[in-house]
Amino acid sequence: MGKSNGFWSRRPRSNQRETERFAHQEENRQLDQVLSANLAENVQALQRLYTRCSDVIFHEFCIGNRMEAVLVYIDGLAHIEEVDQHVLAPLQQDFPMDCTLADIRGKIAVSSIKPVDTIAKVLEEISGGNPVLLMEREPHGLAIGLPKWEKRAIDEPSAESVLRGPREGFIESLRTNTALLRRKIRTPHLKIVTMSMGTYTSTQIALAYLEGVAAPALVEEMTNRLQRIEIDGILESVYIEELIEDNPFSPFPQLLSTERPDMASAYLLEGHVVVLIDGTPSVLIAPITFYSLLQSPEDYYERFVVGTAIRWLRYFFFLISLLGPSFYVAVITYHQEMIPNALLITMARSRDQIPFPAIIEALLMESMFEALREAGARLPKQIGTAVSIVGALVIGQAAIAAGIVSAPMVMVVAITGVASFMAPRFTVGIAIRLLRFPMMVLAGFLGLLGLIMGGILILNHLFKLRSFGAPYMAPLAPMQWRSLNDVLWRAPRWLMTKRPHMTGAWNPIRQPRGQRPGPHKGETGD
Amino acid sequence: MVGLIASAVLLSGCWDRMEVNDLAILTAGGLDLTEDRKLELSVKQYLVSPSSSDQSGSVSSDAGGGSGKSVVRSSRGLSMADAASHLQQVLSRKVFWGQDEVFVFGQQLAKEGLAEPLEFLTRHPIPRERANVFVSQSPAKEVLGLDPPIERSVSHALRKMAENETGLNITLKELAEMMAGRSRSAVIPWVEIKPGDGKQAAFAFIKGTAVLKNGKMIGRMNDAETRGIMWLRNEVKKATVTVSPGESNGLVSLQLLRSRTDLIPHLKGGEWSLTVRIETQDDIVENTSELDLSVPDHISELERELEDDIKRRIQMALERAQKEMKADIFNFADAFYRKYPKEWNRNKDRWDEIYSHLQVNVQAKVKVVRPGMTNRSIFKPAQR
Repeated sequence: MGKSNGFWSRRPRSNQRETERFAHQEENRQLDQVLSANLAENVQALQRLYTRCSDVIFHEFCIGNRMEAVLVYIDGLAHIEEVDQHVLAPLQQDFPMDCTLADIRGKIAVSSIKPVDTIAKVLEEISGGNPVLLMEREPHGLAIGLPKWEKRAIDEPSAESVLRGPREGFIESLRTNTALLRRKIRTPHLKIVTMSMGTYTSTQIALAYLEGVAAPALVEEMTNRLQRIEIDGILESVYIEELIEDNPFSPFPQLLSTERPDMASAYLLEGHVVVLIDGTPSVLIAPITFYSLLQSPEDYYERFVVGTAIRWLRYFFFLISLLGPSFYVAVITYHQEMIPNALLITMARSRDQIPFPAIIEALLMESMFEALREAGARLPKQIGTAVSIVGALVIGQAAIAAGIVSAPMVMVVAITGVASFMAPRFTVGIAIRLLRFPMMVLAGFLGLLGLIMGGILILNHLFKLRSFGAPYMAPLAPMQWRSLNDVLWRAPRWLMTKRPHMTGAWNPIRQPRGQRPGPHKGETGD
Repeated sequence: MVGLIASAVLLSGCWDRMEVNDLAILTAGGLDLTEDRKLELSVKQYLVSPSSSDQSGSVSSDAGGGSGKSVVRSSRGLSMADAASHLQQVLSRKVFWGQDEVFVFGQQLAKEGLAEPLEFLTRHPIPRERANVFVSQSPAKEVLGLDPPIERSVSHALRKMAENETGLNITLKELAEMMAGRSRSAVIPWVEIKPGDGKQAAFAFIKGTAVLKNGKMIGRMNDAETRGIMWLRNEVKKATVTVSPGESNGLVSLQLLRSRTDLIPHLKGGEWSLTVRIETQDDIVENTSELDLSVPDHISELERELEDDIKRRIQMALERAQKEMKADIFNFADAFYRKYPKEWNRNKDRWDEIYSHLQVNVQAKVKVVRPGMTNRSIFKPAQR
């Protein structure tokens, strides 16, 4: 492998690498450099950095036809029309020869202007879409806050749709996202701390939390973990998730990602922290429990009786999606006496001409199903229908008629498939679907005993798992009776007087008690 | 390390694996005694192969009716286990007792003694203890050979009949309990074959009861006496009793709603006696007599009639069991043991003697709760 003359073998030799590293150090020294009073020098330094960058514009002009100045911006990131109108036009007027940058600043009709004094700052502002004005005889520049880049409109997140409730979703722009949060939680207690991450991408990351509700230790822990990250680039929230989670080998997600501002706000109100990342609509919520993965915002927007019923339905089908095929395999190959007589005979009949043992049949059908799901998810919509037609044939009537799989197995696979789609979070759905395969193998080798062993292993892992120090299975383990309000049933609003124990202990009271409505509420003497 | 553990799990696995299509699903077992005093074990195997049923294609749906769906195979052996192991020689698929619904014992075997085969059936882990047991008049093999037109197999038909509670419903576990219990007597439903004529196939049905003492069949009771046994054993769930009240010449039928039988033993100065107290509630379902049932007096008259009828039935069963067969099939022994454990233990060797001379008082209390949807019969205006 190493001796091939492909691309990978042509790595720079060590002394070559050494010089490159030296060049980087040289560049870093340049970045720390303070702006000089000489305009030409500054422009030269910048141009040296921005060699072969056709989208960086150095616009040279004269302030009041006297003083030389340069406006540096990136085409497509800065709002050029606004710059022309509010920056360049006023600067065409007469200015005294000895006017300073401060004088000019007063003439520019833009609300966000800040001085910059190092090359690094200049680069940061330019990359952020803010044009930088450099001027002769001034060791400062002015970053003018007029960025503008194309972003899509706010619309409903397709992966998390609800029937009732807000339809807006986060988008790829960080500022829009923080605004969406701020619009829901209009208190100065909502803190949004911004930091920049990624040596090349310089991605903006915002840590949002509700001061006085979120435990300071949690905020501190999250800040520490975020600051530990050293990475070249961040393109999606999962980059961060994988670098800050507690157990990187677990199939279960330890941070919740959502595209819904209402959901993020609800978690903020319960004392969780939210991490927003520029460039992706999904935000991260921590810490979470296992049960929050099985909850949908819809639960809270429906009447609580309905919400509770749906929640239990979800729990039940969650178990089916994990154990359905393995239970079938275990029972039909090891515990035939458990099946009711009439059912066993029907099953035996349909299985009679099937060449494979039940475990092979199950693995075959389940992987077929997974393949179809994946194919359907990745294909363009126009071809997607073709996949579903073929799929219906493959894991449907044709497979039975061909005598490759039995009819009950097709049913089991179909029910399991539906059950796994019931998981409101895709991440937990896929984790369960993956765990299903080792469970099937265990069931195929050891029957119900294997199923119990696998179950114990999974439970063991879940009970041990922590999300930012919070036990994953809370409030069931450790038991917190009060917080079961939101697990065993969806308690009505007037009963949710306290925040969940895990994150809300810092400020437990959510609302006063005794708000249960009734026809005579508020009357005297009642 | 992980690989080592995984391989340890996988190496041990699979040895018990058995696909359903490799199983011979036995739904009924029959035991007979052959002339050379060997045990003959017959089994009913349900055929699951589509080729043997008349269905084409591999998608088989209903279990439907019709014959030729199951086969009977037999094997002989010195003991039950011996015969069971020989059975595999005549079956291509692996013998699977786990779905066995009924065990039928031939009359000859029952008379010779059921203790030996039951030893196997209770010791071996696979046969179901909830399987129903029957004693058949004809050899068990013949009963298994029947193919009832309604149910999917004869085993299912027999089980359903037993569950209808018209006769006794005895499972393997109950039989073992009775045979090993203090009374050492047991009852098993008696099965006869109604021979088929041209139009109708032969079928098996429950007709009375076989009575066992010390594991051997010593006699049988007819249907009416079986009802008496059921009253005494507190097993009556459904019954329609028809009485002819007093001097009228019509009939009144009552349907049992619920019934409760208590056995109250007494032991006074070496005198053993027992009171049977029966409380029932009934509905009137038919009235062809001259009695106007809207009159409360008539209702109480009816209740008395019914009480007498129940007593008569019980006495009939009691008479035969106590005096003729001397078999304590009502488990009076347990009732005495529970109330007077010390005395019973002292006298347990002479329980047979005590039992046959036991004074039994029957008290019946009948309550008619509803006279039905009509008061005075609308077809009999002359009712008084």
